[in-house]
Amino acid sequence: MTGRVSTLGRTRRTRAGVATRSRSAVDRRSVLLVVPVFLLLIIGLGVMMSASSVVAIRDTGDHLYYFRRQVMWVGLGVIAFVVAARVPYRFWQRTALVGYLAVLALLVATLVVGDVRNGARRWIELGPLTIQVAEFAKLATISLLAAALTKKERWLGSLLHFLVPVAVILGGVGLLLLAQPDFGSFAIVLAASFAVILASAVPLGYVAGIGVLGALVGFVLAVSADYRKARLIGFLDPLSDPLGRGHQAVQSLVALGTGGLFGVGLGASRARWSFLPNAHTDFIFAIIGEETGLVGAMLVVVLFTIFAAVGTVIALGAPDRFGRLLATGLVALISIQALVNVGGVVAVLPITGVPLPFVSSGGNAMVVNLAAVGILLNICRAARGRREDVRP
Amino acid sequence: MRRPAWRWHDLRVVVLGLAFAAAWAGIGVRIYQVQAVDAARFAQRGFDQRVRHEVIPAPRGTIYARDGVELAISVAGADLVADPSIVDDAEEVASLLDPLLELDAAEIVERLEGDGRYARLARGLEPDAVEELEALIDGRELLGLTLVPRAVRVYPSGPLAAQVVGLTRLDTGAGIEGLEASLDDVLAGQDGRRIVERDPGGRVIPQGRLLVDPAVPGADVVTTLDRRIQYAAEQAISAAVERTGANWGTVVVLDPDTGEVLAMASAPGFDPNDRDALDPDAVVNRAVAEVYEPGSTLKVVTIAAALEEGLVAPSTELEVPQRIVIEPKEYTDPSDHPSTMTVAEIVERSSNVGTILVQRMLGNERHYRYLDAFGLGRRAAIDFPGERSGHLEHVSAWCRSTCGPSAAIGYGVSVTPLQMAALYATIANDGEWVEPHVVAEIVEADGRRIVTEPRRRRVLAPETARLLRSMLERVVEGGTGTRARVEGFTVAGKTGTTEKYLPDEQTYSTEDRIASFVGMAPAGDPEIVVAVVLDSPKGVLEDGTELKYGGASAAPVFAEVALAVLNDLGIPPDRPGVDGDG
Repeated sequence: MTGRVSTLGRTRRTRAGVATRSRSAVDRRSVLLVVPVFLLLIIGLGVMMSASSVVAIRDTGDHLYYFRRQVMWVGLGVIAFVVAARVPYRFWQRTALVGYLAVLALLVATLVVGDVRNGARRWIELGPLTIQVAEFAKLATISLLAAALTKKERWLGSLLHFLVPVAVILGGVGLLLLAQPDFGSFAIVLAASFAVILASAVPLGYVAGIGVLGALVGFVLAVSADYRKARLIGFLDPLSDPLGRGHQAVQSLVALGTGGLFGVGLGASRARWSFLPNAHTDFIFAIIGEETGLVGAMLVVVLFTIFAAVGTVIALGAPDRFGRLLATGLVALISIQALVNVGGVVAVLPITGVPLPFVSSGGNAMVVNLAAVGILLNICRAARGRREDVRP
Repeated sequence: MRRPAWRWHDLRVVVLGLAFAAAWAGIGVRIYQVQAVDAARFAQRGFDQRVRHEVIPAPRGTIYARDGVELAISVAGADLVADPSIVDDAEEVASLLDPLLELDAAEIVERLEGDGRYARLARGLEPDAVEELEALIDGRELLGLTLVPRAVRVYPSGPLAAQVVGLTRLDTGAGIEGLEASLDDVLAGQDGRRIVERDPGGRVIPQGRLLVDPAVPGADVVTTLDRRIQYAAEQAISAAVERTGANWGTVVVLDPDTGEVLAMASAPGFDPNDRDALDPDAVVNRAVAEVYEPGSTLKVVTIAAALEEGLVAPSTELEVPQRIVIEPKEYTDPSDHPSTMTVAEIVERSSNVGTILVQRMLGNERHYRYLDAFGLGRRAAIDFPGERSGHLEHVSAWCRSTCGPSAAIGYGVSVTPLQMAALYATIANDGEWVEPHVVAEIVEADGRRIVTEPRRRRVLAPETARLLRSMLERVVEGGTGTRARVEGFTVAGKTGTTEKYLPDEQTYSTEDRIASFVGMAPAGDPEIVVAVVLDSPKGVLEDGTELKYGGASAAPVFAEVALAVLNDLGIPPDRPGVDGDG
């Protein structure tokens, strides 16, 4: 492991010109990483107050019920962010296997003692908290994959050395996720894993092969369950059955169209009045678009674009191979979820039930995603720290 | 040696980053398309699915008795409708509903097993019934039953003054009878309208309030009816109709000074709250809707005119034969009388021949002028629906021979009971005719009051009216109207018995009579005028008097009602009673 780090270090040192302005560049990256994320948190909380109020009154009688929960989860998420930013990211490399196995155990536990909601067994009740292990599984899987591909870097030219660990890691978590069933989380893990593989030293031919294979598996799974097929058909032709399968898509577009350029105003969403199901969870982006218009929706898009760009730069500047792969995986994990969610809301992708990171209601994802940002920040800072060490 | 490979890997990460950026750019384009280019189309769709144009029904005004007690009021009720295709067990539902609805279980089952998706089980349920049904439907979780809210008209006083107050349609709530019909515009108010946004569950979206044009509530109507007098009148007239087997009977009680109708009762009556048992004949307000030939009660106009014109005085003596022939008719007096009678005696004995002699002195022109001035041939009041005008031919169309003499004794002229009451009220009110009215005031929703100002018209000099009253007093004291006597009070009045005209056969009935009595009390300064009319009373009193005569059937009703009214109004007795004499 030390050898690999020194290899990378040597590469960096040869590019001395960059190192002289690295400190300010790193600080700038840190700010550009953290500020958009916190802006998204603020936007999310603001819209949550409106988007969840109607359903909160219906469910509990307290119009701020979901908002309060979200504030609590954001609080926990910020703690996770601060902790993750302070833990040296190489810690995750060492503990990746343990973490992954722990997640597998929890996934098994979920299948045994989990709560069934909407026909899926995905949640473990833990006192006042509900744990959705799949969210943690995403993080653990990406970490272990990054660690494994780092360890196998020298042998990645061999199909067997590449394929076996990848298949075992993704297969284990995949089977347990599909058993719930949670096709959405598995698809996200597959896509983010693909990004990690792409960023690794795996030959491009293998990458293309695994990409085709993954897409094939994804498609077969997508049409294998009726409700997923229905979503797919609803996506392909939403107006064919606006009251049934296409209903959410149509209502989502109606909300966005109602918002127009500048929105109907904060707290004035109409879609949340039972027109748009899941307004405060999967479809919160539609409420943002309705209340704040094209301006607000574009702001969210720009913030996520900045996040992806800065995350990519952090990955490129990571001190070592593991840092790069982990950073790539985390950026992909969050960006893909955001793209899939917003893509569904604007009806260019099927509706999948994937929440919008940092914005949608849902505590486990909030904690995991903010932890991921913390890890990214740590990787970003490690680059600076390393340079300071080597400058004299 | 590794550097190129590393660069190559750099590029792969850069490509990945660019892929994300490109994807977001694509999403941005799509958002622009949805929120800027096609926004109007989607917004319109949203607008269509939540914006509703609604009518806000105006609450209907209340009808009050003069003491402020409600006679007709609208309450928040409901219809009970069912969707037979959803109802699980018709038998069970029917057995649960049976005690709460007017329908019996079998009928409910029949309706619930119909083919359609709509069956009405009850209409116009009142609030307490609605509450019970709501509890039942929720408690038992009965599927397919819906309570559709709407305003229901209820009549807290039941049958009291039912013909005057009237009825509304059960479906639209529009007035169809009585004051409900004649004052429908006033009572109905003006429906408002509302453009609101509603969610799929029908709740109003508070941010979406677009327009509210509030309903203007209907005005309240305060009647002149006195509930206790009305009750007494209804009791008396329905008892009389029962006793005499009359087709119908009516009583009008007027305050002669103000023209206020204190009571207006018709028998048979009905309960407006029980629409299923409604008899259309019972709904008719006989006091204004029936016309009849007034007969002897109209003789006062002939006498009044002659007195007013100075042609005769009460003491003027006339040679009155038992019969008089005016081709092609012969007029007779039914009972024997002296050959010489004063005008007062003519009135007292209700002599046809004597009255005709006075009319001949008067002449048709002057006679007509007084008939007209007393308000005959025109509607007496403005606020009664279905009020008929009666019939008074203009004098220019009168035949030269019998038309005048017939009119003198109340034939060839038709009137309503209310017109006759107003005519006698003119005599009671010292010669001034006051328009009778049943609406005291209309109170608009904003509090404005429209008080009825009745028209007034002087017909006779006060002295003439006083002379007439003293002559009419003798009718009750010793003439044809003795059964109208009221203990403790002087009474002035006149009986009337006319052959009933059968319009279909264009001839007079040989059997049936319209029996009437119109009178006032106390005679010196009358506080009330009461008119009683019975259609075709039958039977014989103990002393052999036939009930078809007004003096036998209608006069006692007058006495009964007048006593109740005088006592109720607290009028002090003006005549020593029988007890005092003894």
